[in-house]
Amino acid sequence: MSETTTNPHGIAEGHPDQRPMIVLEGVSKTYPGQTIPAVAELDLAVPRGSIVMLVGPSGCGKTTTLKMMNRLIEPTTGRILLDGEDVTGVNADQLRRRIGYVIQQVGLFPHFTVGENIAVVPRMLGWDRQRIRQRVDELLELVGLHPREFRDRYPRQLSGGQQQRVGVARALAADPPVMLMDEPFGAIDPVTRERLHDEFLEIQRTVRKTICFVTHDLQEAIKLGDHIAIFTAGGRLAQYDTPEGILSRPANDFVAEFVGSGAAVRRLHLIALSTLDLDEIATGSSPTAAALVTVPLSGSVYDAVDAMLDAQTSVVAVVDDDGQAVGALRWNTLVEKLQLRGLHP
Amino acid sequence: MSVGGVPGLITVSRRRKGMRSYADLLSTPLIVLLGGAAVALWVSTRTLDDIEARALQPSAILSDLGQHLILTAYSTLFVIVIAVPLGILLSRKGARRIRNVVLAVGGFAQALPPYGVLVLIAFAPAPFGFNPFSVIMGLVAAALLPVLRNTVVGLRQVDPALIEAARGMGMSGRATLFRVELPLAVPVMMAGIRVALVLNVGTAVLATFVGGGGLGSLIVRAQTLNRPIVLVTAGAIVAALALMVDWLAGVAERLVRARTS
Repeated sequence: MSETTTNPHGIAEGHPDQRPMIVLEGVSKTYPGQTIPAVAELDLAVPRGSIVMLVGPSGCGKTTTLKMMNRLIEPTTGRILLDGEDVTGVNADQLRRRIGYVIQQVGLFPHFTVGENIAVVPRMLGWDRQRIRQRVDELLELVGLHPREFRDRYPRQLSGGQQQRVGVARALAADPPVMLMDEPFGAIDPVTRERLHDEFLEIQRTVRKTICFVTHDLQEAIKLGDHIAIFTAGGRLAQYDTPEGILSRPANDFVAEFVGSGAAVRRLHLIALSTLDLDEIATGSSPTAAALVTVPLSGSVYDAVDAMLDAQTSVVAVVDDDGQAVGALRWNTLVEKLQLRGLHP
Repeated sequence: MSVGGVPGLITVSRRRKGMRSYADLLSTPLIVLLGGAAVALWVSTRTLDDIEARALQPSAILSDLGQHLILTAYSTLFVIVIAVPLGILLSRKGARRIRNVVLAVGGFAQALPPYGVLVLIAFAPAPFGFNPFSVIMGLVAAALLPVLRNTVVGLRQVDPALIEAARGMGMSGRATLFRVELPLAVPVMMAGIRVALVLNVGTAVLATFVGGGGLGSLIVRAQTLNRPIVLVTAGAIVAALALMVDWLAGVAERLVRARTS
């Protein structure tokens, strides 16, 4: 989880424009025929270039909130600012062409090829043929699909994971500054989802979009989010914080309960091994470095603990990309280190 | 990667399915051809009297056939022009209330016996009367429902996620209808149009009773003249026409389906 701890693009640093990309001001939504609002008086600012995860139980208004950002659902009250511009009254179709949108069911058009699917928004924006073709190939490369092999296929000829990659490519087509994602990986098997998560973070490192991402999976939120907004029933914001803040300082009982009993263990995901002072690997003593279970330096403390438990050992060797051991991590010292960091359970 | 093998597999299975469907496609013309040859052979072995020879003149038959095809074509065209836009309107969310009412009225129109409708229309004031226009309107009433219902069903079975994706990308409602919903509904709509076409070919036989002409005239002539050989020939032509029209519509439907799904 180097993402959250070594992220050099945090909102606070580096960016000349500190203005949040998306701002919701007192936004409410009450559906016709209902008295209780789905979203009530919501204020939310999404920092430029960061991933904000909207999390909460079913019916908490997280999807409604997301869909109000591109006005698929019109807010009852309040206003929405996109890059400082009030977009509550602008033409909704034009607005949506500036916002990437990815949904759980992917929604690729079955009668369009992969290339034609990706080209939908550029075509509406009147790009010329050459530019569209170039962009399609570039995006297929970005999401790890070989353009020549996939460009002219139809969606039904792709696996679920491949379809969702195309879905992400399509949302990125016109290079919108903002992406809205509604449980994009929700219907994908856990193994593929893990891989898509890693690729997604990799892509985000290159494209630096402002992303709002709805999920009901806290684990996913912790892994992907720079910030997490936890919603409670009635569309109220229970806590809006970094993943670490949510896990270590739940603002109220609702968040504490939502985070659940595994918070301490989950938090281990957030501590990158590269941020710890590792022990020297004692040469000559046993077990020798070669005999130790190894974990990559790019991993998290969670990975190290998992490896220890798996191998029933109390020490692991941490290795760099070249497989060279850079240090050892012991169970006892790990617990002490976590206490020093104030991250103990 | 295993994915590399998939396109090959798909092509193979598609080709196999294609071969099977070619066999399907050939069976109807083959039956029509064999049946037609048998009737022609039978007629040729008989010596025809003057009346029979005149009734079976190619020019006379072709003229009836031509009228019949024109009646069928116009009535089907009017059905499409009326039922497709109406079906589109009824498939919209706002039309939820009136949808079932209109479909019920369409079902009512279809349930009426076409002969009775034709006679009633023929006695209605101008522009109705004993003329082809009345016939076409009668046929339209009888064949409207399949196209209307299939347009509504075809549009409503489009995955809502596709519509959400289209709108979410900034497609207007109209663009979503024309670029996403209609192309995906076309196979179902085509099936309805095929039913309407076949209904119209059959019902157009009744046109002769209200001054509409068509192959019904040949049948009526054969009956009044009491010439079984003409009657059999006329019946065979009507049957062959219905089968071939259904076949052509089936081919068109299949082509459309192959292109959109």
